[in-house]
Parts: sequence; structure tokens; C-alpha cells
Amino acid sequence: MPELLHTLPVTRIVTTAAALDGASVPEDALVLRTAPDEALVIHAEAADPDAITIDDAHAIVVADAGWSGGWIPTAAADTFLDGNCSWARPIDRPAFAQGMVAHLPVKLWFEAERTLFVVPHVSAHELTHRLREGGIA
Amino acid sequence: MGGGARKVAPDPTSTNRCRTLGAVSDDTFDFAGRDITFAPGDSALLALTRHGIHPAGGGPLCFAGDCPNCLCTVDGISYVRACQTPAEVGVRIEPHPTNGEPPLPAWDTEAKTVAAIHRRADVVVIGGGESGQAARQQAADAGRIVELLDTNDGAEAIAVYPGPIVVARTADGMVNIECDDIVVATGAAEIQPIVPGSRLAGLWTPRAAAHVQAAGIDLGLTVAVGDVSDDAAATVVAPGELVRFEGEERLAAVITMVDGAEVRTEADNAIVGLGIHPRTGLARMANFMDVEVVGDAALEPTVPTCPSSGIACPCSNVTVEQLDDIYERGFTHMELLKRGTLAGTGTCQGSVCTPYLRSFLQDRGQELQPAFTFRPMAKQLTMNEIAAGSHLPALARTSLDSVHRDLGAQMDRMGGWWRPWTYGDTDAEYAAVRERVSLGDVSTLGKMILTGPDAEASLQRLFPTDVSTIKPGRSRYVLMLNERGYVMDDGMIAREHDGTFFLTFTSGGASMAEMWIRDWSASWGHDIRILNQTMSLGAINVTGPLAKELLERATDDDLPPFLGHCNITVAGVPCKVLRVSFTGELSFELHHPVDRSVELWTALMDLGADLGIQPHAIEALFRLRLEKGHIIVGIDTDYDSTPRRLQHEWAVNMKKGDFIGRTAIERTNRLALDKRLVGFRTEGRAPFEGAVVWSGSDYAGWVTSAAFSPTIGAGVALGWLEAVDGEFPASVTIDGLDAEIVSPHFYDPEGARPRA
Repeated sequence: MPELLHTLPVTRIVTTAAALDGASVPEDALVLRTAPDEALVIHAEAADPDAITIDDAHAIVVADAGWSGGWIPTAAADTFLDGNCSWARPIDRPAFAQGMVAHLPVKLWFEAERTLFVVPHVSAHELTHRLREGGIA
Repeated sequence: MGGGARKVAPDPTSTNRCRTLGAVSDDTFDFAGRDITFAPGDSALLALTRHGIHPAGGGPLCFAGDCPNCLCTVDGISYVRACQTPAEVGVRIEPHPTNGEPPLPAWDTEAKTVAAIHRRADVVVIGGGESGQAARQQAADAGRIVELLDTNDGAEAIAVYPGPIVVARTADGMVNIECDDIVVATGAAEIQPIVPGSRLAGLWTPRAAAHVQAAGIDLGLTVAVGDVSDDAAATVVAPGELVRFEGEERLAAVITMVDGAEVRTEADNAIVGLGIHPRTGLARMANFMDVEVVGDAALEPTVPTCPSSGIACPCSNVTVEQLDDIYERGFTHMELLKRGTLAGTGTCQGSVCTPYLRSFLQDRGQELQPAFTFRPMAKQLTMNEIAAGSHLPALARTSLDSVHRDLGAQMDRMGGWWRPWTYGDTDAEYAAVRERVSLGDVSTLGKMILTGPDAEASLQRLFPTDVSTIKPGRSRYVLMLNERGYVMDDGMIAREHDGTFFLTFTSGGASMAEMWIRDWSASWGHDIRILNQTMSLGAINVTGPLAKELLERATDDDLPPFLGHCNITVAGVPCKVLRVSFTGELSFELHHPVDRSVELWTALMDLGADLGIQPHAIEALFRLRLEKGHIIVGIDTDYDSTPRRLQHEWAVNMKKGDFIGRTAIERTNRLALDKRLVGFRTEGRAPFEGAVVWSGSDYAGWVTSAAFSPTIGAGVALGWLEAVDGEFPASVTIDGLDAEIVSPHFYDPEGARPRA
């Protein structure tokens, strides 16, 4: 059975909101802004904190292996979220949202054809189990 | 459904004196072992009525889901209303016992999971009657997305929660609809009679009678009492005001009062019209939200005549006499009557008794009071329905979880994590730490980076230690206090050479600590950056007298001195190494990227094979740290544990500036010490954890942690010793053992071994 979730190549940023607004990240990276002053940068390949520039001498910019994620086709993701997500999901695509999904802290990146589920690595086993319970193979 | 229509002869044991049963088919369901035929579209109650059966034996029937008088066990599920249950082939219905409650269902591990469905709408309209349909149309015309919930269409609203979220039971599962607006169009219930004899069979509300008659059922000699609509056909009208019903099990006569004299009207059935009571339960449940109530649900309720006797609340079997009794004791409010008698807390949630409770209080001179608070659920749910969409609390797994399981560890839940309790031989694990070298998975420790221009200033105010004296490359044990000076957590602060700080906290304490730091720093206006790395860094504790020898095989870099730390590569894995001991032995915590944990663990186990390396789990760790006298916050501490009571005053620097808890500590330090955490030593065995400490026959505390120490050769325990009559006892007994009160530091009290 293929793994649903994999370790993501992430650089984690903690800085000021203004500095994060002006941060420069690789073009092929996906940036999930999890808080005004915090972001997960998901690189196309390996995590690369040096590829990120931020105008904040105190910014924390570190590679972070603590995140797992997996892409799920939109229809299957929506079916799963209908039963396991009690909050209103964004309608626009692409869009980012985060909250409790199947009683786990999940970050979601919605694209037209697929949705990226991201969880702390320590919860990946549980989310995988709950995704499978929800009919996602 | 099939077969031609035919008439069924009345059951001779009928409690329902109906003369014509109406057309039914050959299809049947089971009621108490009898085959019950029914007509297409019948509810189970209507079908039973055709056969002259009252499923509960007696009590007025409403056919609207408002009362508890047709409750049955349907397909093994109790407290189901027969009037809300479609008559279907194969359904099995059992009446509830006339005395007592229906039996609990058998444990069914194969029970089908009820799905949770989450939807979004602009408007939810509850109730599909005329006013509900109008509200739906109005909202739809305004371009709004509308969900209409109608019990008759299989969508029964059962709760309204803040959000607002409306929860409905449907055939597909429990639907949770988040919405902006709610319209309650649930109509009104008919008030049922509460007089002597109102538990007889043969009593109908006007709508129920009309419904039954429309189904072709002839109710025979039918007497109308009160205000009965034209839809329900009565043979005669009883004059005057209702006094009581008479009969044996079922109705024989209606007694009314006319000009001070009782009038007796013989009857097979009675249709009793006493007014309406709006179904406002769901609106009251949402009383703090903006809910629109329309149609009959918005009508003023009828206040019926105060009952003089009889059962006022049929669900909880509360009599008028019991209401009187509780009223005389000062329960003079609707909410108090409910609490004092349980009236209104049963199956119908006050639908029957609420009007009478209001009139009862009004009759006794109280202002007419509104109905009492209504809380979820509005209707009974099965445990499966309640559990829809629920999951067991998720436990985090360290990156070494599979390693522990492969080693055959007995896993246990601690602090929100799965952790190895033992690998099967705790004594051997313990010995490996004390005598050789061992690995422990401490990935669950809270881990945090704190930096920014005001990082040190924040830490100075957050912790009672003088952070300014922690030199780069050094670390210090710290307590985290709340404003009352009580210990909330403990951990380490390590200062990096670049001015940032690395903090550790207890397992499970990181989230709270992060919020604590963020909130206070924000309130002080401090410019800091915090990164919680608890989930991102694994941590392995390398501990034992041979720990250094093992690590020197794994790295060419220098290892830190006691309470020092450094960033080095160990077995090819980048690690932040903290030299800090919880076991009482020479120890190094290796904090590393979580995806390298297995690699690091495996390499160290391989390198230490000839040293007799063996991993240790939590049971051994607890024993080791107990011998050393290291507390575990949450186990050895209480909600009022000050550093002084814990004998941790050494961790508080009162010469520094202000810090959280300082004022409280200054104040409590002026008070006599009333309890303190001490060590207890017992011979032969350890007391059990939680055991009471006795000073003679006086309570003198309790044991927080205990184990037999093979190294000490005695039972060792930490526990609270409380002053008795202002004095700390000198001798105590615990769990039947004489216990010596000693220093908590049983093992290596000078601390030489971690510094080796």
C-alpha cells in the first residue's frame, strides 16, 4: 500500500510580519503562511534555508524535517473533509487553510485538482490512519 | 408494499376501542411478537392504532413527536417514538416496560458507524411547514443558500451550537450545518391534559385525532373536551371544564365541571383541546444567537389551568404533589423546579410539562415565568449518532516509535504521546543506565528557540533564575512559575553563542509554555521570535557511566562539560548536545532533526554493542530519576506547589529583578511552611503511589512517586509531608510501613556522577 504522507522538504521561518511580507523565497517553493509572523516554505526538492532572504537580523530560518504531507485529488479530499472538517473551507483556489481535521491539526493547500494535507510528523501516522478510514487509499 | 387492501378485525385485547381500522396491506412489522399489518405511509404508531394497540399502554397521543407516550424500542434502540417511526416490513418494535426502564442495548462491536457531514449554508430553516417554507422561499429569493430541515423529510434538527451550527439527524448521518442565520419554524405542540386519569388509553390531541380519523380509523364514541378543531370529529362535546378521566386502563368516561357540578360523559375516546405550546426549544437553545422564530413557534403559549393532581411530567414521573413539596422548600423558579424534581429533563424535554410548570408557579402567586433553558440534545440520540465524526484523541508518535515497537516495547500514553513503558525487563534497563550505557527516547521534551532583541529581557521576567548569568554554551535548570508562585513547568535554558536561547520543557508542556511566553512577551511589548521545535527535533538521551566513551566513538568533536551544550555532529547526524542528567548518571541529550532519529539511534546502538548498551524505557527512567530525587512536574507537584514547598528554593533568585510569581513568593515566604516535598525510605518494599502518609492517626500527606531501589536496597518515595498541628511529624507510616523521612536525593546526593 503506497504511503499517503511523506516528509516534506520544509524551511520554517519566524520573523516579523513586515519582514515576512518582503521575504524572498525560491520561485518553485510553496509558501504556507501559518501565522502573520511565521511561514512554512515547502521546497520543490531539498529544504534550503539559504535560498530565503529576509530583512530581519533576528529571523529564525531553519530547515525543519518535522512535517509530513501528501497530495490528494480534490474529489476524494472534499469527501473526506465533508465528514471530518467542521469549519468552513475556502472556496477560491488556490487557497490555504488550517485547523482541526479529523481531530488533528492539519494545514491544507487547496488547488483546483488536488489538495495538500500537511501535519506535524508526529501526527502523520494518525492522519494516515484516519484518511484510510475515510476511504482514501 | 403489496397485496390488496383489506380490513383487519380488532384485537380482542385492544386497549384502543376503535371500531374501524382503515385499509391496510399484507405487509407486516413485528410488535412484541405480533405481526402488525399497516397501510402505505403509516407510521408505526398509526399502524398500531389500527390494531387497537397503545404502545405504552396509556397516555394521550399527539402523533407529532412532542410527548413521551408512544416510546418504544425499535430494532434494539430504545426511547424511539412510534409516531416518528415509519411502518416498514421487518421492523421489530418492543414496548417499554411499564415499570422501570428498557434494558440497555447489547454491546455491538459491529454497529455501523454514523457518518458526520459538514455543510455550509447562509440560512438554515428548521421546520418545513407553511411558515418554514415561506422563510425558505424568502431567503432563496434573496439569493441566499438555504438548508431546510424537516423531520417529515427525514432531517430532524436536534441541536444548535455557537457558530452558529445546526445539527440534524438524517438517514445519511449527522449533518452539521454552519450558517449565518437560523429560522425556527417548528410550529407548536398541543397541550396535553394533566388531570387524574390522564394516563389512560383513549386520549388524543385534536391533531392526533384528526390524523387518525383521516387514516380511516373510527374512534367510536368520541367526546370532545375543550377547544377541539373541526378537523377532528367528535360524537359529543363534554360541557364545562375538564376534571378527570375515568376508566380501567382505558377511558370509560370524561368528568367535567359545569356550574359547580360534575358531569359524567361516557366515551370510548376523548379528544382534548387545551391550547398550544410553541416548540421553542431550539430557539431557546440558541438564545444567545440571532435566531428568527416564525409561524406558530412565535405564538404566545397558552397557559393551561393549574393542575391539582396527577402526573405533571410523564417522562420523569413527577406528580403535582411533588411539585408542591419542592415549591414549599423554596424552589419557586422554573429552573429550580426542574432541578428539584427533574421535571422537564426527560425524553420530551419539557414539551408536556412546561406549560403546567408555568401555570403551577403562576397559581402560587409567582410572575408568569418563561420556559427553562434548553440544552442539546433536543431529541434522544444513539451513542453512535453522538459519536458521529468523533475520533479518539490523537497521540503523537516520536520518530523512534517504530523502533520501540520493533523492540517489543509495551507502549503507553503519556503527556499526549505514545511512549515505551518497558522493553520487557525493566531491571535490566535500569542496570544498563547505572552500570554501563543506555539510550532513552526523550523526543517528547518540549523544545523551543527564542531569539530577538528582547529575548533575554523576556526570559528574565518569565523565569525566577538570573538568565543574564547563563553564559554562552552553558545551560541552567529553571522553574516556570505562574503569578501565584506555583510551579507550572520546568526545563532548561541554554544560551547559544549567537545570543539566541534554546529552551526545553516537560513532555506535553511545550504548547502551554509557548503560549505563556508569547502572551507575556507581547504584553510587555518585547520584540522576540519564538520557534517551537518540539515536533521537529528528536532527542536521544545517552546516559550511563560509559556514555562519554560511547559518544567519543561517534564524534570527533569535543563533548560539552556538565550543564554545557554544543552543536556537533554525532554519527554523521547534526546534533545539539546538552549535558544534563535526569537519570543521575553522566548524560547527554542529543537533539537532532526528526528524520535522522532512527539513523542516530541505530548507529549508537551499534557503536555501543561491546559496552553492553541497552535502551531504557519510561518505567526504568522514573525509577532512576526517583532515586536521584528529580521531580516530575504534574506527578510530584500539585497546583499549589511553590519552590519552597518543593524544596527548590535554590532555583529561585530573589536578588534579581521582577519575575512572574515573585510577589507571591515574597508573601508566602512570610507564612509558616505547611507542607513540603520530602523523601521517604521504607524497608522491604515501597509503598504504593498515592498512599496516604500517616502521623499516628493523623493525615500527614501522600506519596507522589515510589519504587523499590535495588541500588539503595530499600523502598524510596517522594511525597508531600504536611504539618500536623503546626509541626512536621518526625515519624510516619505509609501503606502499613514505617517510613523514614529523608532527603529526596537518595542516590549520589553530591551529584558527582553526572559531573564525571
